[in-house]
Amino acid sequence: MEGRQLKIKIGKFLLLGALISYSLVSFIPFFWSISTSFKTESEVFLNHLLPQHLNTDAYVHIATKITPTLYTLFFNSLFIAVVVVILHLILGSTAGYAFARLRFPGRDILFYMVLATMMIPDQLRVVPVYILLVKMGLISAHPSNYLAIFLLKAVGALDIFLFRQYFLNIPKELEDAARIDGAGPIQMFTKIMLPNALPIIATVSILTFQGSWNDLFWPSIILQAPNHWTLPFGILEFQGQFQTDWPPMMALVVLSTLPILLIYLFAQKFIINMQLGSAVKQ
Amino acid sequence: MTTQTQVAHKPVTKTRRSRNLKEYVTGWSFVAAPMSLFAVLSIGILFYAIYISRYDWGLLGARKYLGWQNFSDSFKDPVFLKAIRNSLLYAALVVPLQTALGLTLALLVNSKIKGSNFFRATFYFPSMASSAAITTLFILLMTPDGLFNKILHFFGVNIGNLFNQGQWLSDSRTALYSVIMLNAWTTSGTMMLFYLANLQGIDGTYEEVAKTDGANRWQILRYITLPLLKPAHFFVITTGMIGALQLYDQAILAGGADGSPNYSLMTMVLYIYNACFRQFKFGYGAAIGLELFVLIFSLTLAQRFLFGSRAWKGDN
Repeated sequence: MEGRQLKIKIGKFLLLGALISYSLVSFIPFFWSISTSFKTESEVFLNHLLPQHLNTDAYVHIATKITPTLYTLFFNSLFIAVVVVILHLILGSTAGYAFARLRFPGRDILFYMVLATMMIPDQLRVVPVYILLVKMGLISAHPSNYLAIFLLKAVGALDIFLFRQYFLNIPKELEDAARIDGAGPIQMFTKIMLPNALPIIATVSILTFQGSWNDLFWPSIILQAPNHWTLPFGILEFQGQFQTDWPPMMALVVLSTLPILLIYLFAQKFIINMQLGSAVKQ
Repeated sequence: MTTQTQVAHKPVTKTRRSRNLKEYVTGWSFVAAPMSLFAVLSIGILFYAIYISRYDWGLLGARKYLGWQNFSDSFKDPVFLKAIRNSLLYAALVVPLQTALGLTLALLVNSKIKGSNFFRATFYFPSMASSAAITTLFILLMTPDGLFNKILHFFGVNIGNLFNQGQWLSDSRTALYSVIMLNAWTTSGTMMLFYLANLQGIDGTYEEVAKTDGANRWQILRYITLPLLKPAHFFVITTGMIGALQLYDQAILAGGADGSPNYSLMTMVLYIYNACFRQFKFGYGAAIGLELFVLIFSLTLAQRFLFGSRAWKGDN
């Protein structure tokens, strides 16, 4: 009995050791970016864990000396992400509702089509999409360049799938009551379905926001004028310019990750649970 | 009697019919916008890609019909062959690594230990940050004077005697492997969540029965848990592979558009980027895109075949 208990204790100890070491692996790089952003350039490769003084020069540098400005990069990332989230919510919820709750000819074939688009990688679409956008006059330094991004990112197959799944699980009785009161399909959607769909609305919003905020591929191909660049695109471009000037680069990395970190801190439990939820449904 | 039922019946059919029609129209109009976007930008665009791929298609000027020449030309370019090799090697290594790491993390976190929620959150965080931010940070960590070499030094490794002198990303022999390490780390969090979801769906009675039959922990894992996770293996490996073959962000961030040094970070997607946006050979780029699609599609089908069709549907 004694030996068995000892064995369990050792096992727990080893498990805890493994967990703590891997959390260091997950955590230290981020800590390092914050720490480096407060160092001076000459201090960087002394590789001290903490800066000698809390030096904010790097933040002043990226706030005042980069073109496009930090404000521009933030604004573009935020503007694009917010518009894309709104488009995803509108198109995802309405289509998800129609596929889940309405009967109309062609419904199942169309839904299979939605699923099939998930199989087509973005990188295959890049060439024909780009040429199409050129022909539409949307590849330019003009603000209509944003439209190209919105058009490409307006709709997500995964959102339609998630909304449909969610609406399928809302009890039919709720609808029946409304139907007796004479509600049509549109009232049913706005009065019954949407008010009950807050968790999935939050899920889709967070996933879409994160996806748009972090995206490098499409912006780096589509956005032409520097004053339309997003943060990840800015990071890509500055990397060549800054070379070894690491503190400002890390300040940019820290600031661009901050919104995602904040969302993560406030909605961490929720994000993990919803990711678990959507994973199960797949 | 008959007239009565008819009279009672008729208005019902009428309202039902108009209600049905109303439902049809609402249904169609609710799916109209997303379906037309899909029809043009996802499905129609594939046919457009096939069309473009058969031309010498520059940004301006006359187009020349080439037939299949873009496709045959691609296999004569040593840089493209290198890109295929890099993409396949990358996928062949990163997929098993991220899968094994994700599964291990999921099994560790799934145990009833104090603070497992905290660990779960910490392990997932690298998957949330942007590739641009993480790769830039990674480049700093991997520079010759950076933290990674400092840690190696701490453990007694003489950096100067290493075959690459600690130049992890700027030596063509180690650049791709460094990116593999980076991405195994960043994607393992997502893989962990997929495995966790499936682990939590496993009926505990299987393990109980095995325990009373005298099975030890290893046997339970080997003969009960891992086989029950088959749908998760399929999902994680397939999505992992599709993602891996599309490697672009980390390659262009760490190696620039040429995938430097010496094309060691040139991938198929980066090659498409170069063909189109630096050489303006759009027909050629479209042909490479189609080749990539055929590769991804056939590997996905092969995996589906390998795992059996039941894993595909997600039931066990």
